Amino acid sequence: MLRVLIARLGQAALVVVLVVSSCFVIIRLAPGDPFVQQFEGQDVAPEVRERLRAAYGYDRPVPEQFVRFVGSAFRGELGTSTMRNEDVRSVLARTLPNTILLMGTALLIGLSAGVTLGAWQGWRPESRGARVTDRLGLLVLSVPEFVLALLLVLVPALAWGLFPVGGMQSVVPPSGFAAVLDRLHHLVLPASALALILTAVVARHQRAAMRDLRDAVFVRAARARGVPERRIFWRHAVRNALVPVLTLVGVLFPALFGGAVIVEKIFAWPGMGSTMVDAVLSRDYHLVVGGVLVSSVCVVTGTLLADLALLWADPRQRRP
Amino acid sequence: MRAPLTKLALLLALVACGDRTGDGGGTVIIGAAADADAVLPGLAGGVQGRVVTELLFDRFADLGPALQTVGDGGFLPRLAERWTWGADSLTITFHIDPDARWHDDTPVTADDAVFTFGLLMDPALASRMAADMAGIDSVTASGAQDVVVHFAQRSAEQFYQATLMVPLPRHIYGSIPAGDLRTHAAAQAPVGSGRFRFVSWEPRVRLELAAVDGHARGRPSLDRVIFTPSPDPTSGLARVWAGDTDVWEPLPPNDLADAAQHAHVRVITGPGFDYGFLAFNFRDARNEARAHPLFGDRTMRRAITMAVDRDALRRAVFDSLAVNGLGPFVRAQITADTTIRQIPFDRDAAAALLDSLGWRTIGADGVRRRGTQRLTFSILVPSSSTVRNRAAVLLQDQLRQVGVDVRIEGMEFQTFFDRMAQGRFDAVISGWRTTPSPRGLRGTWGGAAITGGSRQNAGRYENPDFDAAVLAGLGALDPAERSARLSEAFQIITDDAAAIWMYETRNAAAVHQRLRIPEWRSDAWWLTLGDWTVDPAQRLPRDARPEAP
Repeated sequence: MLRVLIARLGQAALVVVLVVSSCFVIIRLAPGDPFVQQFEGQDVAPEVRERLRAAYGYDRPVPEQFVRFVGSAFRGELGTSTMRNEDVRSVLARTLPNTILLMGTALLIGLSAGVTLGAWQGWRPESRGARVTDRLGLLVLSVPEFVLALLLVLVPALAWGLFPVGGMQSVVPPSGFAAVLDRLHHLVLPASALALILTAVVARHQRAAMRDLRDAVFVRAARARGVPERRIFWRHAVRNALVPVLTLVGVLFPALFGGAVIVEKIFAWPGMGSTMVDAVLSRDYHLVVGGVLVSSVCVVTGTLLADLALLWADPRQRRP
Repeated sequence: MRAPLTKLALLLALVACGDRTGDGGGTVIIGAAADADAVLPGLAGGVQGRVVTELLFDRFADLGPALQTVGDGGFLPRLAERWTWGADSLTITFHIDPDARWHDDTPVTADDAVFTFGLLMDPALASRMAADMAGIDSVTASGAQDVVVHFAQRSAEQFYQATLMVPLPRHIYGSIPAGDLRTHAAAQAPVGSGRFRFVSWEPRVRLELAAVDGHARGRPSLDRVIFTPSPDPTSGLARVWAGDTDVWEPLPPNDLADAAQHAHVRVITGPGFDYGFLAFNFRDARNEARAHPLFGDRTMRRAITMAVDRDALRRAVFDSLAVNGLGPFVRAQITADTTIRQIPFDRDAAAALLDSLGWRTIGADGVRRRGTQRLTFSILVPSSSTVRNRAAVLLQDQLRQVGVDVRIEGMEFQTFFDRMAQGRFDAVISGWRTTPSPRGLRGTWGGAAITGGSRQNAGRYENPDFDAAVLAGLGALDPAERSARLSEAFQIITDDAAAIWMYETRNAAAVHQRLRIPEWRSDAWWLTLGDWTVDPAQRLPRDARPEAP
C-alpha cells in the first residue's frame, strides 16, 4: 500500500511540474499583452505599457523569466497580479477557499444523493419511482451546465424570489449566526447547479453497478443466510458497487473544476475558477501560472484521494 | 473669485445636513461587470478603478459640467479654494482649502502635492498618470497651503492638465518605495480627501465607501456607497431587476426593453464618450511597405463608405442608445463639430464608383470582379463584443448589395488586439473612449510623423494636412481658433474616408426609482454621488443608517 502511495505521489509531482512549465511558456507565447484589456479603448501612450511591462519583468526573455519564476516559487512567491495589483498568493488564498466551499458542497451533495439514488434505482429497477427518477436524471444530463445555472437564476431566484440571484453574501451582510445562514442561502443555487449534474452522473453509474450486483452470488448467499435485506443493501451491495463510482469521481474531479468556472461566472461567486478565466483573458501571466500550480495540485490531490478510496473499497487494487 | 460664496453655500448645506432625520442617509449599491483594478490614483487603469478613486480623492479643481478644457473658465474649486496664474502664464498656484483634511484628519498640504508629483513621475511606479502630466515641468510649494505647478511652455489645456493630478498624503505613502506601492497594504486601503472614505474591499465581492462627516465641501446625503461586481452582465442585471442593485452602468442596448418592465427601475441616458468605427487598413496586411491593394485607394474607401446605411445599422444594433458617428470625436466634447460634411449613403453612387475602379463584372455569386480578382475583404472583430459582431454582420449584408464580399474574422480580444497592432487585417471594427479633451486625436489618428510610429492608429492613416490641422488645433490658445482648426482636421479625415464613423454611444444606466439624482454628468456620472438622495417614501431596509464600526 505504501509503495503504491509513494509511486502515485511521484507521478502527481511530475504532472504538476509538467503542467506548470508548459502553462508558463504557452501563456507567454499566446498573442496579447497583460496591459491590453485594462486600457481597452483608452488612449494610453505606448510608453506607459512598456513601463508597466518592465515593472513586472515581462520585458525580459522568456527563459530568464522562467528561471526567475522557479527561484521565486521555491521561496513561496508567485509574483504580482497585473489585473488586480495584488500578490498572487493573496488572490489565490482568497478565492481558492470559495471554490473549495462550492465544489466541496456540490461533491458532498452530488455523491451522497447520486449513490443513494442510483443504488435504489438499481435495487428496485422495476419500480415506477426508479423509472421516473432515471428519466429526470437523463434530462438533467442533457442540459448544458450554463443553461441549468441560468434556469436556476430565472426561476427560484428571480421568479419566485426564494434565493439571491448571485454573490456569496448579501451586499449589506448581517452579523453573527445570521451571516452564516446568509452565506448558506447564497450557496444553495450555485451548489445545486453543480450537484444536480453530479447526482445524475453518479446515479447512472451506481445504478448500473447495483443492477449487476443484485443477483450476484455473494448477495444470494447472504440472503440464504438470512441476513436482513437492509444490511445486504448497504453493507454488501452498495459498498461493492462503489468501486466504479469512485473511479468515476477521480475522472470527474477536473471536470467539476471546469463546471465550477461557469457556475461561478453566472452566480458571481468569487472563486478561483472565474478568476482564472479572467486571468487568461487578461493575460495576467503571474496569476495564470500561480492558479494553474494550485489547481493542478488540487486536481492531482483529489484524484489521489479517489484512488485511495478505491484502494479502501476494493482490496484487489492494492496489489502492485 | 467665487470661493467665499461657495464656502457660504457649503456652510449652509452643512447646517442643513446637521440633522439628518429628514430625507438624508441611505445606501446606494452599484453593480458593474468588473471590479476596480486598484483603489489608489496613479495605479488604477480601468473605469471602475477610476470611479472609486475619484470618489475617494479630490483633485485641485473639477472640470465642471461645461467640459471646457481650455483655460480655467468652467472649473469648480475642490481641494483648492482658489488659484492664481503667474504673470508669464507658465505657473499656476493652487491655494489649498485650509479646511481640507485627509480622511485620517491630517490637513492637506502643498507638501503632499509636491510628493505626489514626484511619485507619479517615478518610472518605478509605472503610472499612466505620468503621460497625462507630461506638460508639467515641476511642482513646488510656496507655503504650507500653496502649490505651484510649473510648465515649460504655454498650452491651451495647462490648467486641465494640472487638475489631472490627484494629491496623495505623504505621511501615508511617503515611506513606501514607488516600486512596492502597487502591492502595499496601504494602497489597498487608501486614505483619501474626497467626500467618501474607504471602509472595506473584498475584491470581486464588495467595496464599501462611507460618507465623510464634516468634509470641507459638506457631508454627502448618502451614508454609504457599495460596489458589487458581477462578472456575468446577465446575472448582474438580474440583480438590478430583483432590486438588489441600485445602479448598473453602462446598460447594454439589448436590456433596454427589460428595464422598462420593472417599475422600480428607470433608465437615465446622456451623451456618451465612446465612438465606434470601421477603420480601413491603409497598408498591405502582408507587407507594410506597400499600400493596401483595396484601401490604399481613396475612391475605394469612399465607395465602401457610401454603400453603408449607417442609420439602419445604428438603429439595429443600439436601438435608441446611440447616434450616428460624425468623425473621430463625440458630441459631448466641446470641440465637436456637428456640421462636418458626411459621405452620404447612396448605393447607386457607390456602385458607380466601384464600376469606375474597374470592378464591373458581377459573378454568379453576386460578387464584383476585376479580371479574375473578386472584390472581397475581411473585417476583424473581437468575438466577445456582441455589438461589434452584430455591426459586422449588418455591414456584410449591406456591402453584399453592391457586390462586395465581406468575411468576418471574429477572435478572442487579445488576439484581436495583437492582429490590429501588427496591422494584419483589411478592416477592423474598433472604438475609442474619448475624454473631454480632444488631445487623444493625435495618438489615435495622427500619422507616424506626429506619433512617432505609435500603433494606436491601427489603420495607419496618414495625411500631413490632417496632422498639421490637429497640431494647430491642439496648440491653439484661443478656443475658437482651436475648434476651427480641429474642424478642419475632422473634415479632412472624413473626406479621406479613413474610417466609417458608425456610431457614438449614449451613456445609459439602469437606476433604482427611489434615488433622486440632481445631475447626471455625461463624462463621469459618479462625481455627483455626493449630492444624490433617497426618496424618504421609498426607503428600503438597506437605507437604514449603518451601525458604527
